[in-house]
Amino acid sequence: MKIRSPLRSLQGRLLVASTLVLPVVLLLAGFALKNAYSSSLETAVKDRLQLQVYLLLGSVELKEEHIRFPESLHEPRYEKVGSGLYAAIHDKEGSLLWRSLSSTLMDDQQLSQKVDTGFMPAGMPRFKHLTNDGLYQYQLRIIWEQAQQERSMLFTVMESDDQVKRDISAYTDQLALWLSIIFLVALLAQTLILGWGLRPLKRLAKDLKGIEQGQSTSLQGNYPNEVEVVTDNLNGLIESEREQRERYRNTLADLAHSLKTPLAVVRGAANEEHSYADYKALIGEQVERMDQIVQYQLTRAVKSQGKPLGQSIPITPVVERITNALSKVYREKQISAQIDISDNLTFPGDERDLMELLGNILENAFKYGCHRVTFSASATNGRLNIRICDDGPGVEEDQRQVIIKRGERLDNSIQGQGIGLAVSTDIISSYNGQLEITESPLGGCCFLIELPLG
Amino acid sequence: MKILVVEDDPDLRRQLVTALEARNYTVEQTSDGEEALYLGDEYPYDLAIVDIGLPKVSGIDVIKHWRSEGKEFPIIVLTARGDWQDKVEGLEAGADDYLVKPFHIEELSARLNALLRRAAGHAKPVLEFGPISIDTTGRMVYRNGEAVKLTSYEYRTFEYLVLNAGKTISKTELTEHLYHQDFDRDSNVLEVFVRRLRQKLDPDQDLQPISTVRGLGYRFALNPESSDP
Repeated sequence: MKIRSPLRSLQGRLLVASTLVLPVVLLLAGFALKNAYSSSLETAVKDRLQLQVYLLLGSVELKEEHIRFPESLHEPRYEKVGSGLYAAIHDKEGSLLWRSLSSTLMDDQQLSQKVDTGFMPAGMPRFKHLTNDGLYQYQLRIIWEQAQQERSMLFTVMESDDQVKRDISAYTDQLALWLSIIFLVALLAQTLILGWGLRPLKRLAKDLKGIEQGQSTSLQGNYPNEVEVVTDNLNGLIESEREQRERYRNTLADLAHSLKTPLAVVRGAANEEHSYADYKALIGEQVERMDQIVQYQLTRAVKSQGKPLGQSIPITPVVERITNALSKVYREKQISAQIDISDNLTFPGDERDLMELLGNILENAFKYGCHRVTFSASATNGRLNIRICDDGPGVEEDQRQVIIKRGERLDNSIQGQGIGLAVSTDIISSYNGQLEITESPLGGCCFLIELPLG
Repeated sequence: MKILVVEDDPDLRRQLVTALEARNYTVEQTSDGEEALYLGDEYPYDLAIVDIGLPKVSGIDVIKHWRSEGKEFPIIVLTARGDWQDKVEGLEAGADDYLVKPFHIEELSARLNALLRRAAGHAKPVLEFGPISIDTTGRMVYRNGEAVKLTSYEYRTFEYLVLNAGKTISKTELTEHLYHQDFDRDSNVLEVFVRRLRQKLDPDQDLQPISTVRGLGYRFALNPESSDP
């Protein structure tokens, strides 16, 4: 079985992309949340330690050189050894004046290593996290006035960060759990949404398969707006392809039928008494007839069927190419071709069709014109008007309809006539246009072509 | 007049060559575009007939190449599809005329004649020089309205001189344009043709239509009387 890369499906792509991107987003969010939580915890610790310092300040009694506290401090943790809450008071020189009972497990040196007794201005608190010792430290230096004597004292309160660490750890665990759940739910939701959103495309594929298998002829049903643009165009394409196939089939049938007559004539002639010259002439005539039939049917088969999807071909360059080419072929006549086309005028269809349509009529004008050919084109009231005139002998009034009709229904009876005009007429009618032949102000005839633009 | 036929279909090529040779042209042929490029570059042709759909190098590319190399001989393209896209592309590439297959050989002959005359600067098919006139379509020469009987090679020699009237044409150039590549260039057959032409066209020796420019070649010396531009 062929293993298909998930990247070949839209859903696969989106899922792979979000599987890669979503964890990064969630990790960043988790990091931010954890940081915010830690910082709020630290603020709480700071507030608490500040309060402890103020309470100590309130309880302390200074007697001469000694510091005294009431028998039992309001905070029982100071009394309990290793409770995690410690307090100390140092003098200006950094000598220890007092320490709480809870700090008994630390000797003086250990304590003074932890306590930063460096200078700090009075009244400005200092809060630090001593990560190596696992302690939060809050310090405040105050100036105590006693009997006109100022005493500087440094109050230090420290609390173990164990609780905070435990809180953060528990929070992180919860956070990870919930973010994982969010990740899975988001992924699941996205898969469901994508499946739902892409369902019209799957239906489209299924409907197309149905058309391929001949179960239906067009894409039906309600599609979302975005897909409807595609289905409308596809329907147009399918329809034009179907028409094209139909036309090929008809052309082939027409071709086979219309070739049978000249073939029958040739076969019949073999059984008749003919001089060589007569026989040669007859064969020549029938070959000519068959050639015209083939040419006409081929051109008709390849020609596009009316308006293709939103094409529009600028007319001027096509006309210039054809007149340049014809001026070369009919160089001896030195025909002056005057082209007058409104700015940016376009032909609403296939370039090949335009070339055949104009090429045949213009060649006629160059062939029959004496010195002048004029080409003018303009758009009025949503219709494209093209006028090709020459100064040749013109076309008799009773012949004009014959020429046009021949194009509409060319059968195998014409001989010695080019099929160019027939092809042009055919193209014009496939675009729902009209062709008219009138007298030309130049003396010859004018071909007036009118085509709907919209 | 020497014509190069480039056509890949052997039957059509054979028919073309036969018909053109019957009309007194010297014809060389090839079936593929690559050889056509070489021949066109190497030999002085007066005209080429090129099929658009050729193997190896397309007819359009062959024509473009020749034109880019400064070759100015007239070119007729043959197209099987016959749509305007093909015709216009061929003419834009540098061809001078087109024919849609299948065509009548008379039609080809008429187009070819017109192009050759045009290349020589004449607009009308019948060129008149005093009592002598030459009908390039019918490939006939008249003196005082009476047809002069010329052999095919005599006609070719005379036509080439007339279409290059006033110019001195060397024997080499004449040989190149009248005969196939394997023609023996040292023979004096040209002198024989010219002598016979002089006898047939100017029995009284009062016109002197062809003058010999010693050491250089021949020159058709009469002035045209037609109203050619």
